[in-house]
Amino acid sequence: MASTSLLFPSVEWLQAVREVFNTSEQYRGTGSGRCDCLVGLKVDNELFRVDFEGFGCESVKEASQADLDEADFYIEMPSDEWKAMLDNIRTNGHAVGEYTINTLDLGREEGIAHSTHGDQYRQDLFVRYNQTMQFFFDASSRVATTYERA
Amino acid sequence: MAKQTTDTVSATKIGETPKQVVHPEPQYRWMNQSREWGTRVLPGEKGLTLDSLNVGIYGEIPQRWDDQGRNPRGAIPVKGALPIGYSVTSKTELWAPSAAQLYEEAIQRRWAPATDVPWSTVQPLPDDVETAICQVCTEISQYANTDIEVITSWQHRMSYGYHEVKQFLATASLDAARRYEALRKRALINGGGLGLEPMGQVNRVLLESRGGWTETVSALALIRGLFLVTMCEYLLRHAYNEAERVIYSYVIQDVSRLVNYGLDHLQYSIAHDDERLNAITTMVAIGVAMHNRDLRDPVLREALAIVFGGGVAGARKEGMSIFFDFMDDFRKRHLELRRWLKLPADPASLPLGYRPRDAK
Repeated sequence: MASTSLLFPSVEWLQAVREVFNTSEQYRGTGSGRCDCLVGLKVDNELFRVDFEGFGCESVKEASQADLDEADFYIEMPSDEWKAMLDNIRTNGHAVGEYTINTLDLGREEGIAHSTHGDQYRQDLFVRYNQTMQFFFDASSRVATTYERA
Repeated sequence: MAKQTTDTVSATKIGETPKQVVHPEPQYRWMNQSREWGTRVLPGEKGLTLDSLNVGIYGEIPQRWDDQGRNPRGAIPVKGALPIGYSVTSKTELWAPSAAQLYEEAIQRRWAPATDVPWSTVQPLPDDVETAICQVCTEISQYANTDIEVITSWQHRMSYGYHEVKQFLATASLDAARRYEALRKRALINGGGLGLEPMGQVNRVLLESRGGWTETVSALALIRGLFLVTMCEYLLRHAYNEAERVIYSYVIQDVSRLVNYGLDHLQYSIAHDDERLNAITTMVAIGVAMHNRDLRDPVLREALAIVFGGGVAGARKEGMSIFFDFMDDFRKRHLELRRWLKLPADPASLPLGYRPRDAK
């Protein structure tokens, strides 16, 4: 685990999660595999893009609204709900109960996965790659996280 | 005249004189016959994938494939062979641009219920909950049986010119077999057993749809597949142990691939064949009407309400409320997919029992 806490949300935090995700055998096992999609993350007004390619996460970057338009889908939650999910992951080593992205999606009227292009095939990648997305966020259990800007 | 060589072979009996056997000199005339020699596809970052092989003539995917043999696309066909009788021979009848990718994905995301499901996490449950889970397992197992039969009954009619689709569908029928296996194991591991066979009007629509594969796919993806994915998302949310969570999360991935193939194919088919939209619209309307009949059967509804509500006591209010949430989600997604495919999607045109609650 990183010794210095990294700020969520930030590119640095996502980079650390990406490194854990790409290098941990536990996220390469059964039920996971090739995943090619561009995912947007929206935390209040902050936007990020996470590019999955092949068996890993290729890159993480800050994003613009135009990037979000390009994304196959983007996951949007208010910062306090992101925090609740990440706290649950950190406590349990992986998401449990109401905090899996599947359950978070079902629990909201409009879900947490959206797209601006309206292409249902691309938006459905959220369901098709749900396990990979879950593994990615579960990898954050090994990244020391802070939510307060220094 | 071909050269001949002579060999001496061993006698079959002790004491006999060795026999002289004459055989023709090999001519190797079959060699140097290739429609495009010199092709060299190298593995990329994702390995040597099926779609990466589509180069040169090997990547020419024709609008029609009239070869009635098992000729691998790009090979030199044998002449004068008896026709096998493929009936799905047009690209618009089966093609999906994503088929090769979905095939690779199915191979890579494989799982084995015997060893990849943590069965030891299944602990004794109250009888009402166990009975309900077993009923749900029975229903999903029967869906899986139907999927296998539907897919394989069309697969052998499809031309080999579209091997990407045939190969993906081979994985989809294996996925269904695995689904059957996993749910059957869950039904039998915890002191329960299989329940009632469901009515299955949708099964009949799928099995007896003889008009075309595209029409069958429209019901398989937009009704059965989407219904099952949405149901498994709710079952995952209300799972009672890690084994169920693993099963449902993998089943969601597996069935999503089939739904995605369906969407991709329907979109391709509608874009390339003016007649398709009406036929698909009709088939979806028939499928919805039959699904609406299936939904009148209380068995699945009540079993899910018990699972979601934590028992018979919780089924009446909370469980049934969650069941209706599930149905609303399914119907909304169904209508969204219709709109995306430019099929009629007015909720008022649906059977009353099939309309989202806010559209009634």
